[in-house]
Amino acid sequence: MTNFFLVVVMVLSLLILVYLYRVIQGPTVFDRVLGLNGISTKAIILVVVIGTVYDRVDMFVDISTGYALLNLVGAFAIAKFLEQRGTP
Amino acid sequence: MTSSFPKQLLFNTLALFGVWLVLSGRYDLFHVVIGFMVACGVAWLNTGFAHSAFHQFPWVRAVLYVPWLFLRVVQSSLHLTKLILSPSLPIRPKLIFYRSHLRHQGAMVMLGNSVTLTPGTITVEVNGSHLLVHTIDEEAGEDLTSGRMEKKIAQVFQEETKDR
Amino acid sequence: MTVLAVVFILLGLFFLVVAAIGTLRLPDVFARSHAVSLTDSLGAFCVLFGLALYQGFGINMFKILVVLALLFLLNPVIAHATLRAAYRAGVKPQAEENS
Repeated sequence: MTNFFLVVVMVLSLLILVYLYRVIQGPTVFDRVLGLNGISTKAIILVVVIGTVYDRVDMFVDISTGYALLNLVGAFAIAKFLEQRGTP
Repeated sequence: MTSSFPKQLLFNTLALFGVWLVLSGRYDLFHVVIGFMVACGVAWLNTGFAHSAFHQFPWVRAVLYVPWLFLRVVQSSLHLTKLILSPSLPIRPKLIFYRSHLRHQGAMVMLGNSVTLTPGTITVEVNGSHLLVHTIDEEAGEDLTSGRMEKKIAQVFQEETKDR
Repeated sequence: MTVLAVVFILLGLFFLVVAAIGTLRLPDVFARSHAVSLTDSLGAFCVLFGLALYQGFGINMFKILVVLALLFLLNPVIAHATLRAAYRAGVKPQAEENS
């Protein structure tokens, strides 16, 4: 079962690379912000999967909850800043 | 139906204490008592503000609305999957101005959130009761433009929309 | 239970891969955000629900479901904030408008 979860971790990491391409390449700033949002969602899932591998889900779930809330605050800050500045 | 201060206080305390019980994971006497005291304090600090949209929020019917929304999410996800995987990429993006008749502010929040949660439609701008919705396809936006989603949410907020 | 969990996780991985392909293929910000929304809704739901099933009934299952509910509540808000900023900053979508 551990091997299966390790494969899941590897697939998620490869997907993060795909989103990283979007972050680096994206034509506008908002593409990059969107890519970061996708990466953070993947990272939340990744943390829970790693917790399942180590059999310590109760601790890792708290970390992923904090990550989700921090992601919300960060995305709001970036969106508000770009909205006020007004240039793409 | 503005509920009274003690009722709100009790409701907030129970909600916060439930969150504590789920997240702490330790059930000896010390942690439960500490959690209950903290929940009481935070609820007392946060109760009694005048016109919050969540004072009249019908939580029970809102929870009953969730399974229908989830069914729609699954259906439109499958539709979007088909669109992305087809080689010719047959998307026809469109901006729709939608005027909703919902009065309650929480209902507008719920409508906008439901539209954004459903893949294929995203709320771009909200101005009063006007929504600007970006849809990727005719079929994806059909649920909103036919007014089905708004009718469901009006059912959830039945009393409040009738009262005013 | 374990078999059901594995099936759910594989289904979720399929949706996540489809969403990644979508972010590569779709033409502009507004269309790409649909793909990210697909990730958030169905992909994350299937993977996390599979993990919750794998844990079995208990406190861990409820904790994972709390994370799931948090994702469902917060991710539409983030997508809407980003797109509103894009629209107000003057990024025009490739779309026809009607009123």
